[in-house]
Amino acid sequence: MKLNRREFLALTGKTAAGAVIFAACGLPERELIVQSPVDLPEDLVRGEDAWYATSMGDFSNGDGVLVRVMQGRAKKIEGNPDHPITRGKATARYDAVLQLLYHPDRIAEPQLRYSKSGNLVNISWDDANARFKQALSNADGALTVVTNPLRGHLGAVASNFAAEYNGKHMAFDPVEQGVLHGAVKSVLGQDQLPTFDIANAQTVLSFGADWLGTWGSPVQFGVKYGEFREQHDRGYFIHAEPRMSLTAAAADLWLAPVPGTEGDLALAIASVIIEEGLASPQNVAAFEAAVPGGVSGVSLSDAAARTGVDEHRIEKAAKHFAEHTPSVAFGGGSAGAHTNGSFNLGAIYALNILVGAVDAKGGITSNPGSAIDGLSASATGASFADWEAELAEWRAGNVETVIIRGADIVHGMPNSVAIREALEHVPNVIAFGAVHDDTMDFADLVLPEETFLESWGIDIPEPGPGYQVVGTQQPVVGPTISQDESGLISDARGFGDVLLDMSDGSYGRDMESLVRDSLSDLHGTGRGSVSASSASLFTKGALQRGGWWDTNESGSANVGRVSASRGSANYSSTDGTGDGSIFHLVPFVSNSLGDGKLAAAPWAQQTPDPISSASWSTWAEINSIQADELGIKEGDVLRVRSTSGEIEALAYPHPGVRPGVIGIPIGQGHHEGGRYAKDRGSNVLSILVDEKDAETGALAWAATRVTVQRAGKRVKVPKFEGNVEARPVEPGVPVLVVGVGETAEHAQEENHHEYQKNFLLEGEGADDHE
Amino acid sequence: MQQRRELDQVYTNRKLLNGQLDTPKWWLPTVSILGVVVLIGVFVIATMINKGLGVTGLARPVYWGLFITTFVFWVGISHAGIMISAILRLTQAEWRRPVTRAAELLTVFSLLTALVFPLIHAGRPWRIAYWIMPYDVARGIYPNIRSPLIMDPVAISTYLTGSTLFLYIALIPDLGNLRDRTTGWQNAMYTVLALGWRGNPRQWKMQTVGGILLSALMLPIFVSVHSIVSWDFAVASAVEGWHSTIFAPYFVIGAVHSGVSAVVTMMALMRWLWKWDDFIRPEHFDALARLLIVVATGWLAFTFLELTFALYGQDAPEIALREMQMFQWPWNMLFIIFFLTGYAIPVPMWLFKRVRTNIALMFWTSILVNVGMWLERFLIIVPGLARRTPFVYTWEAYRPSPVEWTIFIWSFAWVTFLMLLFSRFFPLVPLFEQKESQVFTDDVMIGRAKVPAIVREAE
Amino acid sequence: MATAEFGSHNWGMVVDVDKCIGCNACVIACQAENNIPLNSQDRVERARTISWIRVERYWEGDFPDAKARFIPIMCQHCENAPCEPVCPVYATYHNSEGMNVQVYNRCVGTRYCANGCPYIVRFFNYWEPVWPESLRNHLNPDVTVRSRGIMEKCSFCVHRIRRESRSARSAGTEIADGAVQTACSSACPTSALNFGNFNDPDSKVSKMKEDKRHYTLLDQFGTDPNVIYLAKIDADKKVGSGAAASHD
Ligand SMILES: Nc1nc2c(c(=O)[nH]1)N[C@H]1C(S)=C(S)[C@@H](COP(=O)(O)OP(=O)(O)OC[C@H]3O[C@@H](n4cnc5c(=O)[nH]c(N)nc54)[C@H](O)[C@@H]3O)O[C@H]1N2
Ligand SMILES: Nc1nc2c(c(=O)[nH]1)N[C@H]1C(S)=C(S)[C@@H](COP(=O)(O)OP(=O)(O)OC[C@H]3O[C@@H](n4cnc5c(=O)[nH]c(N)nc54)[C@H](O)[C@@H]3O)O[C@H]1N2
Ligand code: SF4
Ligand code: SF4
Ligand code: SF4
Ligand code: SF4
Ligand code: SF4
Repeated sequence: MKLNRREFLALTGKTAAGAVIFAACGLPERELIVQSPVDLPEDLVRGEDAWYATSMGDFSNGDGVLVRVMQGRAKKIEGNPDHPITRGKATARYDAVLQLLYHPDRIAEPQLRYSKSGNLVNISWDDANARFKQALSNADGALTVVTNPLRGHLGAVASNFAAEYNGKHMAFDPVEQGVLHGAVKSVLGQDQLPTFDIANAQTVLSFGADWLGTWGSPVQFGVKYGEFREQHDRGYFIHAEPRMSLTAAAADLWLAPVPGTEGDLALAIASVIIEEGLASPQNVAAFEAAVPGGVSGVSLSDAAARTGVDEHRIEKAAKHFAEHTPSVAFGGGSAGAHTNGSFNLGAIYALNILVGAVDAKGGITSNPGSAIDGLSASATGASFADWEAELAEWRAGNVETVIIRGADIVHGMPNSVAIREALEHVPNVIAFGAVHDDTMDFADLVLPEETFLESWGIDIPEPGPGYQVVGTQQPVVGPTISQDESGLISDARGFGDVLLDMSDGSYGRDMESLVRDSLSDLHGTGRGSVSASSASLFTKGALQRGGWWDTNESGSANVGRVSASRGSANYSSTDGTGDGSIFHLVPFVSNSLGDGKLAAAPWAQQTPDPISSASWSTWAEINSIQADELGIKEGDVLRVRSTSGEIEALAYPHPGVRPGVIGIPIGQGHHEGGRYAKDRGSNVLSILVDEKDAETGALAWAATRVTVQRAGKRVKVPKFEGNVEARPVEPGVPVLVVGVGETAEHAQEENHHEYQKNFLLEGEGADDHE
Repeated sequence: MQQRRELDQVYTNRKLLNGQLDTPKWWLPTVSILGVVVLIGVFVIATMINKGLGVTGLARPVYWGLFITTFVFWVGISHAGIMISAILRLTQAEWRRPVTRAAELLTVFSLLTALVFPLIHAGRPWRIAYWIMPYDVARGIYPNIRSPLIMDPVAISTYLTGSTLFLYIALIPDLGNLRDRTTGWQNAMYTVLALGWRGNPRQWKMQTVGGILLSALMLPIFVSVHSIVSWDFAVASAVEGWHSTIFAPYFVIGAVHSGVSAVVTMMALMRWLWKWDDFIRPEHFDALARLLIVVATGWLAFTFLELTFALYGQDAPEIALREMQMFQWPWNMLFIIFFLTGYAIPVPMWLFKRVRTNIALMFWTSILVNVGMWLERFLIIVPGLARRTPFVYTWEAYRPSPVEWTIFIWSFAWVTFLMLLFSRFFPLVPLFEQKESQVFTDDVMIGRAKVPAIVREAE
Repeated sequence: MATAEFGSHNWGMVVDVDKCIGCNACVIACQAENNIPLNSQDRVERARTISWIRVERYWEGDFPDAKARFIPIMCQHCENAPCEPVCPVYATYHNSEGMNVQVYNRCVGTRYCANGCPYIVRFFNYWEPVWPESLRNHLNPDVTVRSRGIMEKCSFCVHRIRRESRSARSAGTEIADGAVQTACSSACPTSALNFGNFNDPDSKVSKMKEDKRHYTLLDQFGTDPNVIYLAKIDADKKVGSGAAASHD
């Protein structure tokens, strides 16, 4: 008998028993329908969200993002799909910024230190402004404005403000890019960094720069890298860096040169190309014109001995680079952070000339200048040499007032410059920021600053995508009242707005009007991605899309000469640093903390390092075989000593470091920085030794040598990787590796046979497995 | 059978009811100390429920640890009761008589204790109602009966109900006896509990038939309980060392091994504490030890089979797990202790009658067995989880926290506490069984011939 | 063809391991999107972190031939999921859109499912999750904050799917290919992570999963995952040599 549900119910309804059963169980009719089990709570949300377009401000080189806002709170940061740099993608650092916005230790109100030795006490903005004015009154000709490198209006506001008081605007970048800009200027004749057409290149050859992780514009490069790998033959990627960064890990061929020999390596590659006749005569001539002395006197065997990269690898890299074009070569990061940094980078960028990659598809494309008059499309920090000179002024009492924002100079400068002492000689130190940093320990006035999510700005990406881009930054959230009703999270103001308030108004009224005015000017050009009938509609359109760009506008290179003379790197001495093995220290920018800007954010702290999987700490990467020889085990607390100081770091031996090199991440070791960063790990920047690039005076931050000794303690490295011992897992599980053109199925079969042979007793059962 | 003294009924009554009628001096201090340990345990459990399972040593991927090990251990111990009472009753093994009550009691109390562990090991014990009952009738959402965690409580609570009934039915004649010997509130209590027992033939018949029926009914339950507990592990196809088809019989026979050993431990204690030398005699130990030799050897065969499966199948992950279990620190140390205590030391010793009839040696060897059998469960459960999976980011070991150890100790104190409390009010050795056995072994003179007083068909 | 009707989709992820650079953008995007408790140092050290997606790194070879291989691993949303039948309360079950879903309300915290999962992608809340009050502002209102004592894991960002299908339904349209992106796939700079509908033969993921490099993790368990991996390519691997990945 077949009953449908209604009939069944009708039937049971007629019987007393049925009635009792159903009444007792309270089973309503609909419950007899067999259906999917209950929905998740997620299914029930009906709130509406808004996604605002803005730019990442200080936390990237001009990435355009969308911020999800619900109920007045920022919830999530994602790449802006329209934006030519981010194209909807992100880095591990984006969302962490939300935690600076809502940081539990966010500075709520202006704070004043009445005497140099006193504590900071909260004061009102009126009081703070009065004191700010006071500090400026004596500062004529004795004012220094210190910021991070700024490209948009904020940079211009800072410079104009300093100029108004006949002072200086100095930018500080703990990981200096000055050498890079110098090399690009001399070889390509360009003020702004060029773009690398990775997506269309067949071979990418890079040196020192962790461009997929932290260098330049990782999200832009990451997107391009994805496309590079999507090509028909997937491209070939060669990377030279003494320690394996995540970029090196992505390379098909990793070369690990002795630190500071990257220029020699580049010349050796050039000499192979020239000797094997792999480059056209015009290109060879152009190269020789660009590189003083060309490749004369470069021998492969010499170079191999000097760089520590065997001849076979150099040849392989050279041939790939020359034969599978278009190719592109670029470098930066630790490759330029040597006493011969300018030469290294010059030689590297000159390689592009040899393969005709300058201003060519799949090579290096030049970026045009800024679309907005007076706003720079490029910014670098002042050189270390300039900073030394400046700090001497401070120490001599020649600077009355220092205004600092976006640059934690106390954390970022090496011990050798005695920055603390210099700051103590400045009568008025005014620091802006969202969360306390180490520099604020020396500030007389601390002003709560808006994060980029709360303020207006213009952000010009660097390196640009090869055409003009003007990114907009707008407040996506207003002041936030904490949900526990403890009050406003922060009564912050924008750095630009405060400076404009204090100035004569010659540059502008406030940041918002500056942004709107610039957008109106862009409307006047009548070109680009936003078209609108009126300036106000144009402004709205640009703000909605996160900016304006013009794909037709491009720059062009002006090939020049490597200005630095060929020289080998000098390393700091380790005399007097005591016992221990001598290592070459290669600091690297943390994938999540950056140079330390994000150390306050717990998400940035907890992000596992790609290579070591470590978090929340400072670790030291050394070669695993060398570690075995020295008896160093994972978790050993290492005492790392240079002539200018000593830090401790947890040993993490792995096979991806050149023996003799110790890699230590930058970004920890803050004395301040809120509950998550305070007194955590060590600051590797502090022990860098005063070695400079001969050409630019930039700090040669990869030229320090250290002695390394076990401190006698052993702790667990806070890493995500399990307690891994050297024990094979079945090959191909889980990362299956195939050769070009090989199927997964074939590779799996191969692996299985291999494994059976290796694992099973005397190959038993290996053969009859078929 | 050895020579033993003739026991008269009065002597038997007085001796076996000494727990109830004149409580021994050591009873109160012992129970008090155990009570303190129990209270500490309860406090720690409450704290854990209040604070969260963070207080344990569990970590990914070892999601189950000491609690589940101890759960399986106590379920195993509970198998003694039915083994001794039901099986031996059905097979009419005479020597079972003095120990049936204690064995059944051990079943009931260890099951009660075992049940605590899955409850407190859950992240939200207060929501367990969702788990074991078809709670949400209104929305038609039922528990997932495919899950062994649903079968577990069903099997265990059935077993618990059966064992409790079994224990009670066997207790009724003794309750009548106690009722007749007490006054005041005790008399009132025994009167209610004795259900009007008069000892008339009809009552005796019903009591005997009830016992036998229950014995027969309990047998399948007995087999099912530990089989189902073993499926908690056997269905987890991804866990090396767990997904084994031999688990059901392996667990059952292991349970008998540990349960019967626990009964031996208890018998020795009863003999010493209540001076029941006349009732719990070396021949009983002898018989149990013989049984244990067979059970233990059968169990050992399963243990070896388990290892053989890995080798014979040449299953690399399984071999890797066994290698870890047997050769890697600290598992290797545990494995050696497990093997020595669970089999290699006690069983060869039991081959000698001098050992089997030596109460002290039997006491210590039976303790050893349970040390080994606890370790066996630990070695099945934890290394399987702490195994090296193909994902190196999940390789972690497990170290139980002090909270877990405290609750582990609590469980032993709790079972002992309950037993002693029970002994204060009810006889631990069934009087009627004891007397029945005396009658069976009495001889009567018929003419000049000496013949057994009762001839039983089976013999 | 895909319509916004519930049940007409089979959501899935295609992970191109060859493109994964190990940058962890996906990991943090997921943390932020799904209100995952902060992984404090103590939790890291005690292996009690919660990370619905993790990017594992495998070493191969020794210096100077050392290679680091990355692979992102999240719940594989198995069609034949070993985690499901063991849950006593149906707190984890398979829905009709190819997802293994977790009903936090029901979960009693037995952790049985986590033992059953061969990929070890289920995470237990040992403690009540706490954020400083101000950080609660960034919690995503679409996603339940899980209390202590329960299991959680990658949900394929089910709330994003629901949001998209609701708007598609009310607009009377179908969900366009690519319109639903999970937090991780949206973040991934190299597009190693790709999310979409396997029921639509024209979707990007349907095409990608036909790549000859496709494999699934631990296929010996027969879990039939809805996460498909495309093998890592080593340009210098000699095919047929059997030079295979091993962990040392
Ligand atoms: N999920 C959810 N729950 C909420 C809220 C929410 O935003 N979301 N908001 C909360 C708030 S602020 C409120 S005020 C309550 C409102 O909760 P309710 O008071 O339940 O309001 P409604 O459900 O909107 O309307 C009640 C019923 O009145 C009927 N109705 C309409 N007009 C008339 C009329 O003229 N006469 C009579 N007799 N009936 C009429 C409607 O058809 C409806 O069935 O809900 C609260 N609960
Ligand atoms: N179409 C339609 N319109 C209606 C109704 C209807 O039934 N239909 N109902 C009407 C009724 S009865 C009501 S009460 C109104 C409700 O309308 P609203 O007053 O708009 O209430 P909510 O929608 O709850 O929005 C309140 C906002 O406050 C935020 N919020 C939450 N907590 C806090 C806090 O602690 N501090 C601060 N500053 N903000 C907080 C929430 O995130 C949310 O954004 O809508 C009315 N309008
Ligand atoms: S107001 Fe919210 S919590 Fe209360 S009954 Fe309604 S839906 Fe449930
Ligand atoms: S991956 Fe694990 S948690 Fe996800 S469905 Fe499969 S078995 Fe379940
Ligand atoms: S932990 Fe939760 S989801 Fe997992 S099996 Fe237990 S009740 Fe089910
Ligand atoms: S799909 Fe969503 S929940 Fe799953 S790992 Fe990605 S972001 Fe996390
Ligand atoms: S975001 Fe993409 S590339 Fe980065 S780790 Fe995740 S899957 Fe890999």
